[in-house]
Amino acid sequence: MSGLLTPAVLLQSTPSSTNVSPDPTPSSSPRPDPLLNTKTLKNAVLKSHGRPPWYGEDGQPCFPAFVIGIAGGSASGKTHVARQIVRSLGSIPTVIILSQDSFYKKHSPEEIALAFASRFDFDHPDAIDMQLFASCLSDLKALRQTNIPVYSFEQHQRLDETKYLYGATIIITEGIMALQDPALRELYDLKIFVQADSDVMLARRILRDVKERGRSVEGILEQYLRYVKPAFDNFVGPSSRYADIIVPGKDNSVAIELISTHIRRQLEKRARQFRRKMAGTLSRSLSRGPARHLTNEELGLVVLDQTPQLKGMFTILRDETTPRQDFIFFIDRLATMLAEKGMEMLPYRDKTIETPVGCRTVGKVLDVESLCGVSILRSGGPLEQGLRRVVNDVAIGSLLVQSDSKTGEPLLLHVMLPACIRERARAAKTWVFLLDAQIGTGASAFMAIRVLLDHGVPPAQIIFVTFLVARCGGIAMVRRTFPEVTVVVGAVDDGLHETWLEGVGASMDVGEDDDLDGAAGRKAWVVQPGMGQIGDRYYL
Amino acid sequence: MSSSTPAASQDISIPPSVITLRRTAQLEALYTIIRDKTTSRGDFLFYSDRIIRLLVEEGLNHLPVVKKTIQTPTGATYEGLGFEGKICGVSILRAGEAMEAGLREVCRSVRIGKILIQRDEETTQPKLFYSKLPPDISKRYVLLLDPMLATGGSAMKAVEVIMEHGVPEERIIFINLISSPEGLQTFCKKYPALRVITGWIDDGLNEKAYIIPGLGDFGERRYCS
Repeated sequence: MSGLLTPAVLLQSTPSSTNVSPDPTPSSSPRPDPLLNTKTLKNAVLKSHGRPPWYGEDGQPCFPAFVIGIAGGSASGKTHVARQIVRSLGSIPTVIILSQDSFYKKHSPEEIALAFASRFDFDHPDAIDMQLFASCLSDLKALRQTNIPVYSFEQHQRLDETKYLYGATIIITEGIMALQDPALRELYDLKIFVQADSDVMLARRILRDVKERGRSVEGILEQYLRYVKPAFDNFVGPSSRYADIIVPGKDNSVAIELISTHIRRQLEKRARQFRRKMAGTLSRSLSRGPARHLTNEELGLVVLDQTPQLKGMFTILRDETTPRQDFIFFIDRLATMLAEKGMEMLPYRDKTIETPVGCRTVGKVLDVESLCGVSILRSGGPLEQGLRRVVNDVAIGSLLVQSDSKTGEPLLLHVMLPACIRERARAAKTWVFLLDAQIGTGASAFMAIRVLLDHGVPPAQIIFVTFLVARCGGIAMVRRTFPEVTVVVGAVDDGLHETWLEGVGASMDVGEDDDLDGAAGRKAWVVQPGMGQIGDRYYL
Repeated sequence: MSSSTPAASQDISIPPSVITLRRTAQLEALYTIIRDKTTSRGDFLFYSDRIIRLLVEEGLNHLPVVKKTIQTPTGATYEGLGFEGKICGVSILRAGEAMEAGLREVCRSVRIGKILIQRDEETTQPKLFYSKLPPDISKRYVLLLDPMLATGGSAMKAVEVIMEHGVPEERIIFINLISSPEGLQTFCKKYPALRVITGWIDDGLNEKAYIIPGLGDFGERRYCS
C-alpha cells in the first residue's frame, strides 16, 4: 500500500479508528458485521466468542497461533482476500489482522520533507522496519502480547504511542512486502500471493485514489511510474515464488474455499492433539481434585491467622441471613486484611531515614519496581476495595472469564491489563495481586495465571489473593502446576460439590463458575460450607 | 528497627499486658515511611491509617466471642463465632482523633468519646480540660486511642477519667502506634490489667521527652504540616 494516502484513509492507521474493542458482552443478538467494514480490518482483533483454554494440564501453551501472510501488488485485493478468509472460517476464537503499513520506519526530518513532497519511496522494502515486524509477529505467534507501532500518514511519521495486541488463534498479516523478508516468511504457516493484472491494479488504484483520496490522475500516474511499478517489478512480483498458493484478485471464491478448508483442517488437527495432551480435559481433572484432603501446609497456602475476630467475620459472611450492607462492610474489611497479608509476601530492602526528631535510623522500604492488581471479573471485584486501601492509587486491571455452559470449559472474554503488564519488559519487573473471590475448581485461576505468564510476569511475582479455597478442589492442581505463585487466603473449606443452580441471576457469580447465557439453570461447583455466591451478595 | 542512638529497650522488659504487632519487613516499611521527615502529609495519612487498621484489628481480637452456628447460602451449617459485648472508642485530643477514621473502617459507626488533656503549666501535671463520653460507657469495652505513648502522663489521666465513668480497668484496651519503654513501664505498673496494643516499641525518650527515633508530633504531621 502506498504511503501517499489522503485523510479519509489515513484515519485507518490512527489508534482511535483501528481500535476495535472486543465486546465483552456474550450476546447472541445480532451485531454489525465487522467484516463489512474495511476499516476494522487494519490491525484489528476480531472475536466471535470467548477464547477457550490454549494450554494443557502442565500449564504450558499447547500450540502457537496460526499465521497467514498475504502479499500482492497495490490494489490487487489483499484486504478483500483477508476479509473473505475470515468470513469463510465462520466461528473462530480470535483473529488479529496485522497491516504492514504500521511498520513504516521512523523517518528523519529530511525523509519527512521528501514524503510531504511525494518524493519518498514508500514502496521500497527498506521503508519497512522488517525486524520489528518480525519480532512483533513472532511474539503474537508464541501467544505473547505485543505492542505494534502506530504510523501516522498525516505526519508521515511513526508516533510515540503503540497498540497493544494479545491472544489470537489466527493472525493474518497483509502488505505488498509481506513475503519479502526471510524472517517473516519463517513465521508463516500459510503464504498467499494475490495476483492481479497490472492494468487491473492500476485501474483500481486510479479509481480508488480519485474517489476516496481526492487525488489527480496525473499525480497518481506519476507516482505509479516512479515508485509503484518499479517496486512491483523488482520486489513484490518476484516474492510470489515464496507463496504456497496464488490467488486471483477477483472471482476467487474457489481459492478462498480451498484456503479456509485447509486452515480449518489445520486448526482441527491441532485441537485434536491438544485434547489428547489434555488427557480428559483440564477442567474435569481440576474439579476432581486430589485423592485425599491435603493440609494447608501441603498445599503451600498462606492462610490468615485464624483469630477470634477473623472467625467472627467469616461467621457473618457465611451466614445466609446477613443483610447486604453488613456483607459489603465485612467483605471490604476482610479484603483489606488479605491485601495486608499479601504485602508481607513482597521483598523489602534497608533504607536509612531521618525522623523529625533529628534521629537517623535504618528502616525498610518496599523493593518492588511496580505493583498492580488484576481482578477476575465479576467476583474479584469485592477484593478491589481492600487492595486500594493498602496500595495507594493502585492500577487494577481485569479479566472476564466465564464458563461455557455446554462444555464447562472456561472462556476468556475480555482482557484489560494495567500498562505495567502490557509491555513485556515492564511486566518482568511487576508484581501482581491477582484477585478472585474463591478457588473452587481452579479453572479460572489457572487461566488468569496463564494470561499473566503469557505477558512475561514471572510466576514468583504473582500473588493470588482470595477469600476462600476449597481444599479438595482445583487448588492442588494450581499449586502443583504453578508452584511459585503465592496464594493468600482467608479460610480453607473442605467441600466442593456440584449442584444445579436455578435461574439467571444466581448463575453468575464466581469467575470460574460464571455462565455464558445464564438460561434456565446449569450445573456449577460450589464451595462448602462456603459463603454462597459472593459476587451476587456483594453486588446485587 | 535499629537506630544509631543507643537502644534503651534492651534493659527494660516488656510488661505482660503489652501486645505488639508482628515485626514483619512490611510493618517496618510502613513505619519507615511515617518516621521519615521528608514524607508528605498525604502519604503520612495513608500509611498511618494502614498501621492504625492493623492495630485496631489486633485490639479487637482481645474482645470476647461466643460460639454461634449459622446456615450458609449453600445450605451447609457452619460452627462459627459471634461477637459479644458492645464497644466504643475514646480518643485523646488532638492526635487521638487521627485514629478515628481507621477505627471506623474496621468498626462501622462505632461510638467515639473524646477527652482533652493538657499539661497544667503551674503543676506540670496532666490536667483534664474536657471530656464527652457515651452515656452507657460503663457497659462497653473501651478502645482508648492515642498515637504516641511517651511518658504516659496523659494516657494515665485518660484512663483515670474513663474508670471514673464506671469502666473497669480490664475492659479498656489502649491502642497506640509507638511507645517508649519508659512510658510502657510506668503505664503498665499503674494499670496492670489494662491491655496495651502497640505497633512499635522505640528506643527511648530524649531530654525533651520526645520518643526516639519516633516520628515527631503525630497530630502536627497529620493535620498541619
